[in-house]
Amino acid sequence: MTLTATNDRNTVSDVQPTPGTGAAGLVAREVCAWFSGRLVLEGVTLAMPRSTVTALIGPSGCGKSTFLRILNRMHELVPGAQLAGSVELDGTDIYAGRLRATDTRRNIGMVFQKPNPFPAMSIYDNVLSGLKFSRISVSDRDALVEVSLTKAGLWNEVKNRMRELGGALSGGQQQRLCIARALAVEPRVLLMDEPCSALDPTSTARIEQTIADIADEVTVVIVTHNMQQAQRVSDVCAFFLAAENEPGRIIEAGPTDVIFGSPTDERTSDYVHGRFG
Amino acid sequence: MAIATETVGPGRAPLTPATIRNDRRKGDRVFRGFARGTGYATLVLLFLIGLFLFIEGWPAIHVAGWHFFTTSGFQTIGKTKHFGVEASLYGTVVVALVALAVGTPVAIATALFLTEYAPRRLRPFMIAVVDLAAAIPSVIYGLWAIYELQPNVVGISGWMSRHLSWIPIFKVATPQVNASLFIAGLVVGIMIVPIIASVTREVFSLTPPGEKEGALALGATRSAMIRRVVLPFGRGGMISAVMLGMGRALGETIAVVIILSESFFISPHILQSGGTTVAQLIAVHFGQGGRLGTQALLFAGLVLFAVTLAINLAASAIVSRSRSGAGVDL
Repeated sequence: MTLTATNDRNTVSDVQPTPGTGAAGLVAREVCAWFSGRLVLEGVTLAMPRSTVTALIGPSGCGKSTFLRILNRMHELVPGAQLAGSVELDGTDIYAGRLRATDTRRNIGMVFQKPNPFPAMSIYDNVLSGLKFSRISVSDRDALVEVSLTKAGLWNEVKNRMRELGGALSGGQQQRLCIARALAVEPRVLLMDEPCSALDPTSTARIEQTIADIADEVTVVIVTHNMQQAQRVSDVCAFFLAAENEPGRIIEAGPTDVIFGSPTDERTSDYVHGRFG
Repeated sequence: MAIATETVGPGRAPLTPATIRNDRRKGDRVFRGFARGTGYATLVLLFLIGLFLFIEGWPAIHVAGWHFFTTSGFQTIGKTKHFGVEASLYGTVVVALVALAVGTPVAIATALFLTEYAPRRLRPFMIAVVDLAAAIPSVIYGLWAIYELQPNVVGISGWMSRHLSWIPIFKVATPQVNASLFIAGLVVGIMIVPIIASVTREVFSLTPPGEKEGALALGATRSAMIRRVVLPFGRGGMISAVMLGMGRALGETIAVVIILSESFFISPHILQSGGTTVAQLIAVHFGQGGRLGTQALLFAGLVLFAVTLAINLAASAIVSRSRSGAGVDL
C-alpha cells in the first residue's frame, strides 16, 4: 500500500521534503526549553538511531515529556513555551524553516499518555483521520485500515465493529487505536508519551508487543516511568534528571543494557535500581 | 442453596425499598424552600403571562376568528373591522431569518477567533468587548442603524436588486430599497452576534484539549483541526446558540420600529421598502384602535410569545440532548 497525494496542494515532494520513507534517525543537539521564561530543559543532546526504540526515563518534572514534544514541534503549541537548539530528522533540521510544522508532525507521529481517539468518529474513520486532515488520498483505504490496526494489535478485536464509535472502546483498545491512527500516515518516527500509564498490565503487554513489531519500520521514542518497561522495549536509554530548582538534563544515555547493567553515573544506578524516584 | 431459597424465595413477602429519613437542618430546609419557591414562581409567572394574554386577547379572536391569522392590517375602529397578523408574522420570520443568515457566520467566526486565534493576552479584553456589545440597548442599535448603517447599506441593497435579481427574493418591484425587511434583519443580525458568539465560544472552549492535540499531532493544520474536531464537538451548542439568537430576533422591537416603514403588503422581495413584524405592530399601534385594538394586539403578543417560547424550548431540548462528543468519557 502506498500513500499517493493526489490533491494538488499536497504533491509528494511537499509532503515529504526530506527524501526517503521508512524509519529515520533523530538527532537532538543542545536542546533547551522554557515555559514562560523559566528554563526547564538545558543542553540536551541525544541521538535516536533509525529503527531503534529509545526510552526516556527519569523522575516526574525532569523534562522528558517536554523534550519529546520538542521532537515533533508540539512544544510550541503550549502558550509561553520557547526553545533553542536543533532537531534533525535524517539530517534535516525540523526547526530550520524548510519543513512546515504540519509536515514535521506527519513524519514524526505521537501517541499521548491519555488515549485520545476522536470519540464521535467511527473506528474506521479514526484510523484514516490523519489522511483526512492532510487531504491525502490512499489507493486502498480498507487495506490501510486493516494493516494499521493489525500493526497496532487491534485488528482482531475490532474487525467486525469498524462503524462503532472510537469512544466506545476500552481504554487499552483506545490507546491501540491511537497507535493505529498514528501509523496510518506512515510516520518515520513515532513518539510515545507514557502510552501505558493509564492501562492495565494486559493492555500494556500488547502495546509493548506492538512497539517491538513496528520498530523496524518506524523509529520509536518512548517516555516511561516503568523501569521494567524501559528495559523490555528499548535499545537505547536516556536518563533525565532535574536537581531542585534546576532545569532537567540528560545524566546518562547509552545502550539499555549498559544503562541498566553498568551505568557510569551513580544517580543513574540509584534511579534504575529503584533507590529513588 | 437452601439458605438462599429461604431468605429470598418466592414464598416470602415482596421486598420493598427502605425509606431513608433525611434529617435536614432548619437552615437547609429554609434555603431549599426559598429556592423552590422562587423557581416555581418563575414558571407560574410565565404561565400567568400567557394566560393573561389569552384571556384579554380572546375577544379579538371572537370578532376575527381564524381570519386573525390570514388577515393583514390593523383596522379595529369603524364599521369594517380588518385586522390580523399574517403580514406581521411573515415579516417577523423574514427579519429573523435575515438576522440569522447575517449574524450566525459572523458570530461563529468571532467565537472561533476568540477561542483559537486571539492573542492570549488580549483574549479576556476581547471577550469582554464582545459580551458588552450584547448590553448595548436596542434603541441605540436602532438609531445607529437609521443614521449610519442604512445610508451605507442602501447602495448594497440597490446593487443586489440590480445584479442578483435572478434570485426571486432579491427582486424589487419599486426602486425604493431603504426601510426594508432586509435592512431591519441586518441590524437585528448585528444585535444577535454577541449572544450567539458568547454561547458558541463557551462550547468551543470545552473541546477536549487531548482531541485537539491528537489532531495537530497527526499533521492537521489549525483550520483542519477546527473543522474536524472543534466544530463537530460544538455542533449541539451552535444549534442552541442560533436558536437563542432567533428567539431574540423574533422579539426585537425598537430597532425594527425605527428602521421599518410599516406596510401590510406581503412581498417576497425582501430588499423592497416596507414591512411589518409582530413586535413592531404592537409597539406602533398600542393605544390606538380602541378596546378591540388593544385586545387584538394582546392576542398578537400571545402568538409571538408562543412562537418564541417554542423556539427556546426546542433550543434547550437540543442542548440537553447531548453535545456531540460530550457524552463519551475519555
